[in-house]
Amino acid sequence: MMLLAAACTKKERISYGLLDQELYEDKTLKTKNKNESEYISILYTNLYQKPISPNELYKTQNVVYSIGDRTLAYEMLLSNYFNQGTVQIPSNNNMRGRLDSFVLDTYKRFYLRYPSEAEKTWFRNYIQANPDASVEMVYTAFAASDEYSFY
Amino acid sequence: MKRKEFIQKAGLLAAGGVAAPYILPGGRLFARSNTPLADHVVLVMFAGGVRQQEAVLQRYLDDSQGVNSAGNIMYNLLEGAVPVSKIAYGTTAAGGTAGGQPIPRLLSQTLQKQGTLFREMRAQSAGHYVGLNTLITGNPGTAQGLKARPNFPTIFEYLRKHAGYQASDCWFIGNTIGNSTPLLNSSEHESYGLQYGGNFFAAPLTFGSAGKDVLSNAKPYSDEELAPMYAMKNFLDQNFGLNPEQFLSVRNNPEERTRIKEWMRDVYIRLANGQIPFPPVNGGGDSFNIGMAAEVLRAFKPKVLVVNMSAVDGCHSNFTGYLQSLHRADHATGWLWDQIQRNIPEMSGKTMLIVAPECGRNLKPNPIQDENDWYAYDHSDPNALRVWGLMAGPNVPQDLVVGSETSPSGRLTDIVPTIAHALGIKDEVMNAGLLDPLARSLFDRI
Repeated sequence: MMLLAAACTKKERISYGLLDQELYEDKTLKTKNKNESEYISILYTNLYQKPISPNELYKTQNVVYSIGDRTLAYEMLLSNYFNQGTVQIPSNNNMRGRLDSFVLDTYKRFYLRYPSEAEKTWFRNYIQANPDASVEMVYTAFAASDEYSFY
Repeated sequence: MKRKEFIQKAGLLAAGGVAAPYILPGGRLFARSNTPLADHVVLVMFAGGVRQQEAVLQRYLDDSQGVNSAGNIMYNLLEGAVPVSKIAYGTTAAGGTAGGQPIPRLLSQTLQKQGTLFREMRAQSAGHYVGLNTLITGNPGTAQGLKARPNFPTIFEYLRKHAGYQASDCWFIGNTIGNSTPLLNSSEHESYGLQYGGNFFAAPLTFGSAGKDVLSNAKPYSDEELAPMYAMKNFLDQNFGLNPEQFLSVRNNPEERTRIKEWMRDVYIRLANGQIPFPPVNGGGDSFNIGMAAEVLRAFKPKVLVVNMSAVDGCHSNFTGYLQSLHRADHATGWLWDQIQRNIPEMSGKTMLIVAPECGRNLKPNPIQDENDWYAYDHSDPNALRVWGLMAGPNVPQDLVVGSETSPSGRLTDIVPTIAHALGIKDEVMNAGLLDPLARSLFDRI
C-alpha cells in the first residue's frame, strides 16, 4: 500500500487560457487551385455525403482532364450527379422557406466561409425575384465558380 | 491554279486585304495584314513520326527491310503507283493474309493533285511533344519541357487575340490525355495564355466508354433554368475577382458553353445509336479522333481545327503495324477532307487543309523484328528531321510540288504563319516576334 501510494502522483491539469474559436476560410487567402482529383473528391463528398471510390475518382478525373474548358466539364459532371437523384440537397421549398439560413449554409458548405452582408443580400434578393432559381442551379453556380476551385 | 496564276491572285488579294479593315467582336477596329485566303483551316498532325522513305519517297520496303518492293501506300494524299508485292499494309480479309487487303482509295483525286506538296521539309525536333509544339506554336521549342504548356503562343491564341475569334472558333482534338497532349490548346506565355486558348477534347476519352459513364447522363437544362445559374455564377466569380492570367483552363462564354454541352449530350446519344459517321476502315483511336473532329466541324464550323493521330508511332516495335497505321492515317485524312467537301456545306470550298507529321524516323532500324521479320524504327537521328507537308483548298496552287531531296523547302515552324496567312493575320503573328526566325508562310515559299 505504501509503495502504491508513493507511486501515484496527482496529474496536474494544464490550461492555456484559449477560447473556443470557430474556424472558417477567408476568400482572400484562397490562393492554391484544387487539382482535378481534389476538386472531384471534395465535390462528390459534398453532394453525396460519402467519399468517392478510387476507381470512380480515377475515371472521372481522366474524363475531366480530357476536356479543355474545365468549367464546362464540371458543369456536365454536376448535371450528371444531379440526374442520379441520390445527391443530398435540400428541396426548393426548404430553400425558399428558410432563405437566410440556406444562403449561409451554402456558403459554408461550398466555400467554408461565411458570406458577407452584401453576398447574403444579393442571394436573398436574387432567389426571391427568380422563381427559376432552384437549389440545383444554386449548387451548380457555387460548384462551378472560380472560388470553389481554390483553397 | 498554276504558280503564275497563284502569284497574280495572291498579289491582288494582299492589296485588297490591307485596304479593308474589320471590326473585332469586341468592337475594336483592326486593319487586316492580309486578306484571308480561306474561311477555315484544318491542320492534321500526321500521325506519330512518319519516315520520309515510306511516305513521299514511296519506297515501301525498299529502303527499310532490304526487300525489293517499292510503292505508294498513302494514295489519298500522294500521287504514285501502289506496291505490287509483299502487301502487308492493308486490312486482313477473312481467310486472307495479314494486311493483304489494301483499303480502297476514297478520294477521286489525291490531295497532292488538289493542292501543293512540300516534298522535303525540315522538322526542328525528332521528338513527339516538341514536334507537336512546333506545329502549333511556330517555334522550335528547344527549351520546351514535357508536362508543361507550350512556352510560346499557340495558333489558337494568335487567332483569338489578333483576329478576335471566340473559344468555340478554335479547336484542338487530341487522341489521348497522355504525352501532355491536353496542354497543347494554350501556352503559358504572359502576353497570351489560357484566356486566348482553344477548346480541347481528347475525343477517345471524352466520348469513349469512360466519358459515357461519367458524363452521358447529363440533364437537359432549358435556357430558363440555366440563366439563373449563370447569373449567380457570374456574381460569385466577380466577387472572387480572378484575373485572366490566373485562369485554370480555357473559357467559353456561357452561350458557347451551353451550346457545347447540348452538342455533347447529343453526341452521346448518337454514338449509342451508331449515328456518328467514322472513316469506313476502323483505325482505332486515330479513326475515332478523326470522326469526332468531323463532328466538331459539322457542329461549330470553327475557324481553325487541329487534330492529331499517333498510331504510326507503333513503328518503335512493329514495322508491319506502322505500315498499316500509315495507310489508315491516309485513309482517315482523305475521309475527313471528303466529309468537309460533301457533308459540311458551310465549309465546303472554303476550307484549307494542311497535313504534316510532327517528326520523321531514323535511317537505320533498331534490333526489334515483327512477325514478318521486318525491323522497327525509332526517331532520333537526322533522318528523323526529314518531313513533308501538304496543303489544299482555296487559293492553294493545285498540282504543285515544292522542294526535293536535294533542295529542301519549308520547316515545320512554317505551319503557324501559314495558318495565320490563310486567316488574314500573318503580319500580326510574324511581328509578335515569338516564331522561329526562319519561319515563313508556306505561301511565301512557293
